[in-house]
Amino acid sequence: MAAGEKQSPLDQFTIKPLSGEPTMLGGFDISFTNSSAAMLATVAAVTLFLVFSMRGRALVPGRWQSCAEICYEIVANMLRDNVGSEGRKYFPFIFTIFMFVLFGNFIGLIPGSFTFTSHVIVTFVMASVIFLGVTAIGFARHGLGYCRMFFPHGAPLWTAVILVPIELVSYLSRPLSLSVRLFANMVVGHVLLKVIAGFVIALGVFGIVPLAFLVGITALEFLVAALQAYIFTILTCIYLHDAIHMH
Amino acid sequence: MTEPDDRSSLKQLDERLKAARTRHDQDRGLDNSGKSGANNVGVGFRIAVEMIAALAVGVGIGLLLDNWLGTKPWMLIVFFILGCGAGFTNLIRVARELDRKARLAKQSKDAGGGQEG
Amino acid sequence: MPQFDPSSFSSQIFWLAVMFVVLYLLMSKIALPRIAEVLEERQDKIDDDLAKAEKLKTEAEQVLAEYEKAIADARSSAAAALKEASAEMAAEAAKREEAFGAELAAKISEAEGRIATARNEALKNLTAVATEVTAAATDRLIGAKLDEATVRKAVDDAMGDAS
Repeated sequence: MAAGEKQSPLDQFTIKPLSGEPTMLGGFDISFTNSSAAMLATVAAVTLFLVFSMRGRALVPGRWQSCAEICYEIVANMLRDNVGSEGRKYFPFIFTIFMFVLFGNFIGLIPGSFTFTSHVIVTFVMASVIFLGVTAIGFARHGLGYCRMFFPHGAPLWTAVILVPIELVSYLSRPLSLSVRLFANMVVGHVLLKVIAGFVIALGVFGIVPLAFLVGITALEFLVAALQAYIFTILTCIYLHDAIHMH
Repeated sequence: MTEPDDRSSLKQLDERLKAARTRHDQDRGLDNSGKSGANNVGVGFRIAVEMIAALAVGVGIGLLLDNWLGTKPWMLIVFFILGCGAGFTNLIRVARELDRKARLAKQSKDAGGGQEG
Repeated sequence: MPQFDPSSFSSQIFWLAVMFVVLYLLMSKIALPRIAEVLEERQDKIDDDLAKAEKLKTEAEQVLAEYEKAIADARSSAAAALKEASAEMAAEAAKREEAFGAELAAKISEAEGRIATARNEALKNLTAVATEVTAAATDRLIGAKLDEATVRKAVDDAMGDAS
């Protein structure tokens, strides 16, 4: 498998600057890369999709308008079911997260494109922003009383010595689990696709069997892409609920 | 005679109107059934990630504290244990939440059945 | 794994922030208000239509009830008219029958009266004839000339016995 070693399944995750020399800002490299291009494509796709599908503003929606409305209602229901009416003002943020991740995942499935959600730094930054924002909302609403989050009420006081650190670690693990889940799902899916695609090419005529498999996995990956966007968003909602209602 | 016809068609209309009204109200009201099935695929993965993340955070904090305080390897050990505890807390939390969701879905299904019947 | 190469982190974080903020602004300022507006409009329209349909339905029911009431009224008034007419006719018939009966009774009593008069007349004539016959007979048979009063008395007695 010499060809397999030359083209590793991980090559698809390589970040390549699109301009010749790196753009620097304040000592940091901020070159426009294939990842940035995928993000730009995602922003453009989401905006075009929503703006053009709602262009008609029809009372009886067409196919595209229905899709846009379904996206809207999925997020709206999620927010209402998990957070309640207080979550209403965070709707644009939650909706942006959902569409950004969803379209990012989908665009990554286009052959030859790039999946920015398969980079742990991207998902980790998003999860951290959510985590910090939610924590800030919690402290803004409950003041120092938000610290009671870390001690389950009803438990004997002496258990605080053990329970508070555990709860604290559990709370701090949120951004990590949120980001790792999305990142790992995307990486595993794309590696799997690449490996099976490699089989298809290597086997030549007999590649028809893995090809059928590849089609199945691709369909599954679309499902995973949507599901992970959904889970990422719903966990954000659940964290928001915890910050607002404190269980 | 045309009377019974008028009657039944009016009754039909009434039923259809009521059905439309309940459907409409459901659309705008709480209706969170029918999406728990798709979640099942992610549940196992989600639990694994929760546990590993808690453990990783514990280990990370332990290593940082050890570096900072020079207490190698005690903080790592302590926070490894705490991370395990946090992992199980997360696990229990996820399980409880799934349980709650399942019960909610069942309740709303029951309520829906009652409405129809 | 390229994911853990820190040299690309700064660029990714920078563009993530830029793109996310751009998308957030586009969503919150343009896309979401539009969708919300359309959905709101539809909800209102559906609410409106349902209310209208319900109103029309109650109206239809009202019309149906009125129609049924009118039919019932017409029916009952027809029955009443029928009853009244038949009662009237019965009364008329009874009156006529009564009048006829009365007329008949009058005629009968008149006829009876006439018969009685005729009979009395006949009897009176009979008495006179009998008296004459008796007077003539007694005169001829026994040669007794009886005065008329006596004869009449005797005849009356005999006739009273006979009758």
